[in-house]
Amino acid sequence: MSTYTAPKKKNLLPKIAMAGPVSVWMILFVTIPMLYVIFISFMSRGVFGDVVYEFSTESYSTILDPTYFQVILKSLKAAGLTTVLCLLIGYPFAYIIARKPKDVAAKMITLLMIPFWTNSLMRLNSWLLLFQTSGPVNNFLVNTGIVDKPISFIYTDELVLIGLITNMLPFAVLPMYSTIEKLEKSMLEASADLGANPRTTFCRITLPITFPGIFSAIILTFIPSLGIYTVTDMLGGGKVLFIGNIIKNQFGSIRNWPLGAALSVLLIVVTMLLIFIYTRFAKIEDMEVV
Amino acid sequence: MKKLLAMLLVGVMTLSLAACGGSTDADTATDDTSAEASTELNIYMWQQYISDDLIAAFEEENNCTVNLSYMSDNADAINKLTAGGGDEYDLIMTCDAYMESLIAGGYVEEINLDNVPNSANINDAYWVSKGYCVPYLMNYIYVVYDSETCPIEITGYNDLIDPALKGQISTIDGARNLFPMALVALGYDPNSTNEEEIAAAYEWLVKFNENVAAYGNAEQNLTNGTVSVAVTYDGNASWAMAEKDTIKIADFTDDAIQLGMDLYVIPTGAKHVDLAEKFLNYICDPEVMAKNLDEFPYSCPNDAAVAAASETYQNDPARQFDYKENVFFQEDVGDAITIYNDYYQKLKVGE
Amino acid sequence: MDAMSRRAKKERRNRILGDVYAILVYAVLYIPIAVMMAFSFNNQRYNYYWNGFTTQWYGKLLNNSALLSSLWYSLFIAILSTVISVAIGTIGALGLKKYEFRGKKAINNMLYIPIIVPEIVMAVALLVIFMNVGLSLGLGSILIGHCTFCIPYAVVTIKGRISGDSNTLEEASMDLGANRVQTFFRVTLPNIFPGVMSAAFLSFTLSFDDVVMSNMLAGARQSTLPVLILSMNKSGITPDVNALTTIMILVIVAAMILNNIIQGALKKKRANY
Repeated sequence: MSTYTAPKKKNLLPKIAMAGPVSVWMILFVTIPMLYVIFISFMSRGVFGDVVYEFSTESYSTILDPTYFQVILKSLKAAGLTTVLCLLIGYPFAYIIARKPKDVAAKMITLLMIPFWTNSLMRLNSWLLLFQTSGPVNNFLVNTGIVDKPISFIYTDELVLIGLITNMLPFAVLPMYSTIEKLEKSMLEASADLGANPRTTFCRITLPITFPGIFSAIILTFIPSLGIYTVTDMLGGGKVLFIGNIIKNQFGSIRNWPLGAALSVLLIVVTMLLIFIYTRFAKIEDMEVV
Repeated sequence: MKKLLAMLLVGVMTLSLAACGGSTDADTATDDTSAEASTELNIYMWQQYISDDLIAAFEEENNCTVNLSYMSDNADAINKLTAGGGDEYDLIMTCDAYMESLIAGGYVEEINLDNVPNSANINDAYWVSKGYCVPYLMNYIYVVYDSETCPIEITGYNDLIDPALKGQISTIDGARNLFPMALVALGYDPNSTNEEEIAAAYEWLVKFNENVAAYGNAEQNLTNGTVSVAVTYDGNASWAMAEKDTIKIADFTDDAIQLGMDLYVIPTGAKHVDLAEKFLNYICDPEVMAKNLDEFPYSCPNDAAVAAASETYQNDPARQFDYKENVFFQEDVGDAITIYNDYYQKLKVGE
Repeated sequence: MDAMSRRAKKERRNRILGDVYAILVYAVLYIPIAVMMAFSFNNQRYNYYWNGFTTQWYGKLLNNSALLSSLWYSLFIAILSTVISVAIGTIGALGLKKYEFRGKKAINNMLYIPIIVPEIVMAVALLVIFMNVGLSLGLGSILIGHCTFCIPYAVVTIKGRISGDSNTLEEASMDLGANRVQTFFRVTLPNIFPGVMSAAFLSFTLSFDDVVMSNMLAGARQSTLPVLILSMNKSGITPDVNALTTIMILVIVAAMILNNIIQGALKKKRANY
């Protein structure tokens, strides 16, 4: 074989100095804590909420208890619905922005981001103010005679869904926008010139090419919606609970760490599953995450 | 996406501008605390529960800074106390139910009441674990309703599970606030440690939950018409009644109601005990507390302060009801708290 | 000709439909902000319902020490975690791009965990590990928490900015006698500067608005603004919080416009030369 051998690295210092901090940080504060959560989930709970280091699968059997399992299904359903609606609303929106001239598109994206520099909890609270029984919407409906009695909009699953969608929409729009933007206009024209109708062009060309963006959008909306508890806290009146709320409670007032850890493990598994599917289509490094 | 990031840059300048302003202020804030370490007081308590003016006046009088931080659950305070709260706080608010175990666990300091002479104003009948705490305010947890919209007459807890009230109730939250109602309704001890009784209470609460529109926000929901019935504290009821005069206190015939006591303790190892005692003495001053009561119209165990309080406070309809004596207190339930917590979580999880 | 004009007409109609749709989406995103601002003028102790106009909350805001100190604390944390994350993220991105080493792929994958896994899981993971090693909760724990989700974003953002020819430039610089540190500040950093700025901006935004991590890891005597607002939720959010948030938006928007004007002026000036 070749006699050439790569020069031995004489100086390891720059390598350690540059790649070291981030690697250490990730191992120390991401990998080890995650493994520890998995470990805790197999431990038992003490009377006062402390963790007793004895092997137990009790937490996992609690999760499978119908009452808890129902919440898991409900969270999955809500996160799924949020994702689908974000895609349906977000895709045409991203498409419209991407087809604008560059400077207009830049302004439109900025306009999309401004609400996200506003405290998210205050924005959620506005939905309550808007839809409460003597709020502007109900006043309008009653005063114009559309309804004769105010409608109870607040503290419902539907309002929680609105909160979720408005919170997640940009995370769906941005990755889709950046893939649609890369779409060559000439390709679409070629397709049309070759006699394809708009629907065929969309299904055969646009959709497959922008698919990685769509899948990024799915991951970036579905997974956070699954774990979020602030939206349900603010809009659900303490009645609508998702997995996130239950995890939070186990580490707060209820104090059952192993159960909270087991639910966290469940979320990790769901996440990994989605990522695994994603990597079938695209490289993780190509995921548009911003 | 790269282009996108460049666009986002538009905001960079702005935020770094805002950031610069912030950093200097944050720096001076930290400087303050370190330079005047001996004159700071750190209090952990409920939000919206003490007058800002009162705090400001105390700060000026004693040339000190008072740092308030807030809990969102009684359990938070217990967590702080049992996790060495003295490192961070000088005063922590907790309630009567936990005093026994806190003293037994050595989590609270004994308070030298000679340094808190004004505490003589506090009615001993409401003073549990005297010597380890100073009561602040107390609150009746009762039922109020909007006489215009409430469809039924409420004379006891069992009326609250009437299907006619579906989605009509806004209630306080927390295992140890909800379960006692159910236990009383079923004729059991409100501080029961019997698992069967707690399970029965859970079944009762499942029906109650059907009628609940929201946990918390009782005043808002009652005044803006979202609900017609609320299980709430007398201070919150007072605000709601001031907004809307059709709100009335339910006329309970037999069922006892909970009287909760909020008190200050000094966590073991607190660093500014002298200032903490000064503060306790200050809030026990009848004039000071009387002013505080105008802003926070809760019941008060400080008789002299109540006597000195404004006419509005004394004639507050939120405290005009005739079953004030028929009360129970929250007691320490020991290990049974896990049973309560498990059923409580199951209740909240259930549909 | 006829077909062309029909096509143009159709395109025009589609464009108008598209614009209407975009405006609708923006409306849904901006309505909450408008409502939030409107209720900062509500004459009521809590925002129960609209009760008449007042500007008193803007004055009262200055006396609400808990609210203001939480704002400063949030800013303080956001700045610190931005600085730490961007520093680690910048050199980390360069290191991960430039060098090969065993486990590099694993580190690259680890970076995506905090981005993808729900934040509550990361918060819980950090909490249990802090409790286990006996780290008391406070400024340190919040900072670690915030940096843990900011660093990955910083690395990913900056890595995307490192161009292929940066290595050649660096080598040229070193050949010309600059040492590593000089090269870093004179060649490497200016090259990736836009990426560094985006990373800083992103980190600041993420940290400043964070609720979940802060709520789980704050044990200190001070809470951040979002955590304070969350804890107010049960008892009611007072209109002075609306006033504060309104001011914050106005500052951001005003500064953005100013920035645009300055950038525009600079561009013109440069073009004139």
